[in-house]
Amino acid sequence: MNKLLHILGFICFLSCGSDNEDYTLIEEEGIEDTQSENPLLDFSVPSNFPDLTYDVSQNPPTEKGFELGKKLFYDGQLASDGVVSCGFCHIQSFAFTHHTHITSHGVDGLIGRRNAQPLHNMAFMNEFTWDGASTFLDSQPIIPITAEVEMNETVSNVLNKLRDDPNYPALFAEAYGSEGINAERMFKSLSQFMLMMVSANSKYDKWERGESITFSEQEEDGRVLFQEKCASCHAGTLQTDQSYRNNGLPLDPQYNDMGRTEVTGLTDDIRKFKVPSLRNIEITFPYMHDGRLGTLEDVLDFYTDGIVQSETLDPIFTKPSGSIGLEMTAEEKSKIIEFLKTLTDTDFLNDQSFAEF
Amino acid sequence: MKKTFLILLATIAITACKEDETQVQNPGTLNLTFENVIDDTTLNLGDSYINSSSETYTINELKYIISNITLTRKDGTLEIYPQDESYFVVNEADANSKSIQLNGIEAGDYTAITFGFGVDPTKYPIESGTLNFVPTAEETGMLWTWSAGFKFILLEGDYTSQTVTESSPYLIHVGSHGANLDNYRDITVALEAASSNTDFTIAEGVNASQTILFDVSKVFDGANTISIDNKPDIQVDPVNAPLIATNISTAFAAQQ
Repeated sequence: MNKLLHILGFICFLSCGSDNEDYTLIEEEGIEDTQSENPLLDFSVPSNFPDLTYDVSQNPPTEKGFELGKKLFYDGQLASDGVVSCGFCHIQSFAFTHHTHITSHGVDGLIGRRNAQPLHNMAFMNEFTWDGASTFLDSQPIIPITAEVEMNETVSNVLNKLRDDPNYPALFAEAYGSEGINAERMFKSLSQFMLMMVSANSKYDKWERGESITFSEQEEDGRVLFQEKCASCHAGTLQTDQSYRNNGLPLDPQYNDMGRTEVTGLTDDIRKFKVPSLRNIEITFPYMHDGRLGTLEDVLDFYTDGIVQSETLDPIFTKPSGSIGLEMTAEEKSKIIEFLKTLTDTDFLNDQSFAEF
Repeated sequence: MKKTFLILLATIAITACKEDETQVQNPGTLNLTFENVIDDTTLNLGDSYINSSSETYTINELKYIISNITLTRKDGTLEIYPQDESYFVVNEADANSKSIQLNGIEAGDYTAITFGFGVDPTKYPIESGTLNFVPTAEETGMLWTWSAGFKFILLEGDYTSQTVTESSPYLIHVGSHGANLDNYRDITVALEAASSNTDFTIAEGVNASQTILFDVSKVFDGANTISIDNKPDIQVDPVNAPLIATNISTAFAAQQ
């Protein structure tokens, strides 16, 4: 399927390459030149991964588009204070989340109410942010750019800054083959950078693809336990069914965060948050939508002993006896954590192509 | 299967570009003027009106998004205005925003105009060309920045009712919330020619113009009755927002 997308992109490119009826050889050469100067990047879906949700044919990543997206991602000009870039809260060595603040940290030292999510495998996600407020990767950056407690800017003003910048006009022209800085090109570039963030080289991936990797006894026990205890929500290769659930966290009166209902207006969605992917979970602490739990041990302890009852609590946590919580012994928990560590992808964390410097 | 798929895609790709390559013959211009009314009278911001729920209301601010403009030819075929150029915010307080000039329309006789109320939330932002509309929506206050979504209509004012006797603010923001709550509506109105015996013609040298009336009173009194008192603050509202969108879908008409 991915190959097809590539070819489709190429066909569109060729067939739309000329606005002129006189389709001459010179123009054909021109297209080839453009391609060699700005080649398509090899965006491939790992064999163990689910289908893409992002329509790559509409925005096939190119070398220059990706580089532009990366520059934008790390540029503080996207924020009102000139400092808080996307990369300020999304740090590569932590799988593009951050550790220093429990919830996100924005301009003027303002603190948000939610924990910055890690960035990886976004081309496979249906919706974005903890409550699914954004349906499309291409428009998601509007949220952090404009949020007062994050980057506190306007899209229009960001575009003005980029137009006045000594470097961006040329970079946009190189990436898109003509002059002009506009919102679509900016968002497409950010998407191209983020699309390429595919984390698929963990020990777990290699095991799943049958690449002569063996799990230790602990890891294998943990894998089986994970399947039994966790995988109904943390389902599939990316460990998420992409649903929204109330997992029984006590309501934090400091934030009073009602979650998904803010997006849908439905009372059924009160206190529900997206089931996160567990990729690179070992290094994406703190955990939960508000970062209240510091370690994986804390997380598993919460699931056995910390869940509180509420109207929208996911029924999966209620045992036949009527009591709530998951059943896991201390030994089982440590095995599950050993398994979770197989989801760490050091190749991704160290991939220089995503690095700021 | 794959081969068929590819050939199909290639055909689509080629067909999609064909339009760019053929010159439109004697293209004309259509000037649309949006006029907001209450029943039959021109709306005045700040004036008092009464709805069927016996509520007296003023409108202090009124804006809405028009998109995806398509014209129907006399022979039933469609003239699709370039989608990425067909996003407009009509703002009652800004006379310029109420005049929309559509250029490069193929000469011919037309019977109807179809436009979207709001932004089609099911379409990909790149495909539908909405990303370049983001700055306009943002500057006019029609962007829900917290969800990267659009307000399709923004209607704000004050009201009194039998129970609320002191003038109180009300606020109606209807938009879409991702794929969950789709309040986008396609609206088709018949074009009105200058006289009943003639066709509505668009061509080079023809002054083709049309007034599109939006009867704002239908927001409250259409197929559904919306009492302001029932909920004076309608924003992310899975119950009332679709009712209002349905009301709005029959609130437009064309006139010469």
